[in-house]
Amino acid sequence: MTSQPDSPVPAGAPVPATRVVIVDDHAIFRSGLKADLDAGIAVVGEAATVEEAVRVIGEALPDVVLLDVHLPGGTGGGGRDVLAGCAALLGTTRFLALSVSDAAEDVVSVIRAGARGYVTKSISGAEISNAVRRVAGGDAVFSPRLAGFVLDAFGTSPADIADDELDRLSARELEVMRLIARGYSYKEVAKELFISIKTVETHVSAVLRKLQLSSRHELTRWAAERRLL
Amino acid sequence: MTTAPLRPQLTRGGDRMIAGVCAGLARHLGWPVQMIRAGMVVAAFAGGAGVAFYAWLWIMVPTADESARRNARPPASPIAPAVSAPVQSPDAQGNTAIAGEPWRFRLAGMPYGKEILLGVGLLLAAGILVARLLGLDVPLGTLIPVAAILGGAAIAWMQLDETRRTGIMDKAKANQAGGWARLAAGLALVVAGVLVMVSGSGSWQQTWLALLASVAVLGGVALVLLPWGLKFWRDLETEREGRVRATERAEIAAHLHDSVLQTLALIQRRAGNEQDVIRLARAQERELRGWLYRNAERDEGQLSDALQAAAAEVEDALGQPVDVVSVGDSAMTGRLEALVMAAREAMLNAARHGGGPVSVYLEATGGAAEIFVKDRGPGFDPAAIPADRLGVRESIIGRMRRHGGTAVIVSNPDGTEVRLSLPLAPDTAAPAPPSTTTPPEPARPTPAGTTTKDTP
Repeated sequence: MTSQPDSPVPAGAPVPATRVVIVDDHAIFRSGLKADLDAGIAVVGEAATVEEAVRVIGEALPDVVLLDVHLPGGTGGGGRDVLAGCAALLGTTRFLALSVSDAAEDVVSVIRAGARGYVTKSISGAEISNAVRRVAGGDAVFSPRLAGFVLDAFGTSPADIADDELDRLSARELEVMRLIARGYSYKEVAKELFISIKTVETHVSAVLRKLQLSSRHELTRWAAERRLL
Repeated sequence: MTTAPLRPQLTRGGDRMIAGVCAGLARHLGWPVQMIRAGMVVAAFAGGAGVAFYAWLWIMVPTADESARRNARPPASPIAPAVSAPVQSPDAQGNTAIAGEPWRFRLAGMPYGKEILLGVGLLLAAGILVARLLGLDVPLGTLIPVAAILGGAAIAWMQLDETRRTGIMDKAKANQAGGWARLAAGLALVVAGVLVMVSGSGSWQQTWLALLASVAVLGGVALVLLPWGLKFWRDLETEREGRVRATERAEIAAHLHDSVLQTLALIQRRAGNEQDVIRLARAQERELRGWLYRNAERDEGQLSDALQAAAAEVEDALGQPVDVVSVGDSAMTGRLEALVMAAREAMLNAARHGGGPVSVYLEATGGAAEIFVKDRGPGFDPAAIPADRLGVRESIIGRMRRHGGTAVIVSNPDGTEVRLSLPLAPDTAAPAPPSTTTPPEPARPTPAGTTTKDTP
């Protein structure tokens, strides 16, 4: 646990450094990730198991936790156990799931447990730094694959007015999800749809909320088919 | 005979006259067949002892291939026994170990064999006592048929679990059905024979009594055998489960050995060549992912599989990662083949000129299949492609148009996206709007490409 209060703030980013805890059971990956993160992000703690993670996060109270989905310890649920152990902190500390796995059950279960986003470990240092900042700002981070899962789970036809608000994506949300699935960055999505980046972020956050809260029949069936929940 | 290891196993078959018993015995004992046969015939005249012995061996000794099947059961992998051992109950294990030996040792190792015999005997005695108490005169003529029935049933049962055992192990349902048929036939024969015998010698009342007695005894036998049968069944189930797990484990080990270990060895040898290492790692990752996350129930050979395969090919050829995200799926058709080929061409271009990861998105829901191939290269002007460069013009745009689909290429300095769309139903394919199929207008200025091509 290294505490680096107020590390040099990069030009153009007037906010103080984002405080991050890295939870991953591979020390090599933790050190590699630490080296990859840019100067605006301070790593204030590391943990390798579920129990250690819950303790370190509780002590360090970081802005963002980079959370591996597969972790030893706990009840065997890995990242989900950490999220359950830190349930009280979910309002202030945000979790970004990080995994080598791109299996639907891993991705969706950790999102439904409260993570604000999901990225794969092959992501570049700049991308993950951006993702950390975005999550710290309260937004959601969707990888193309996660967007694909969302489209798969919610269906690709837009919501009727009669539908439960949580059960379907609006036409605009669908458009945003499709573009993200196609590999567009938020900036590119905004340009493509002639909307502001802020609006894109709002749509993505709305989709995240639906993914976390929806109890719609098809989502559960979809999840059951992939042995989730 | 207990020093069997050097002797061939006692099995029936070979040059058989009736059931191959003599041939099997001769092979086992190392004596000439003629001698055994002659001995049998001689013994048969000695009060039918030879016939009984022959029949007994016929029933109890497995045929050569039955025995081979049983012995083939242990998994071939060296790690498998270690995995399956804790799952098997001691009984099941004992059975497996003993199964290959001659029948008499197997009989001794059968769970609760003695208890069953004891129970049957006691039940019989109790039946006789009760009958005596009720003042019924139980004639020997009834008892003997009852014993016959019992013997028949027992034989049928033993024969049955032989066939059921191998039947379950080999998942050959026909064997099970055969076992049941044999049981039913055996019982019917025994009962019918007894009835005929008794009714021939006695009155109708006696026949009726004999029938009652035999039914009661059969019920008793069933009662005694039921718990044992259930236990036996459960043991078989656990044994089978253990075996399935062991096989799975062996399969995983074999797979890891063939793929991951080989790749790791290759990577070590090529550590100097960064490009090769990345390519190897990427190909291995893709292979492992496909293996780990494949959905066994899903149909193979779908559109998404074909697209994944094409992406893998491009990845291997050019060393650029190609990430495929697919939503929905469709069975492959000839037209979708064309779509995949066009997408492959687009991926090749993206990997070749984009100089970075390629994003591919497939959406096959509703009435159309759409594929988007996006890179982050410097972009190019589709209108300025030389006429002799057939890649884009023919392989992508022309091919899509011929199959009733559309291809739009959007390029700007931030990257290029190829958008392919093909109606899934063939009848709607014919009238393709020609406006969208024309090679897209000027590309450098972005506005031309920024129109979303959402299907209505």
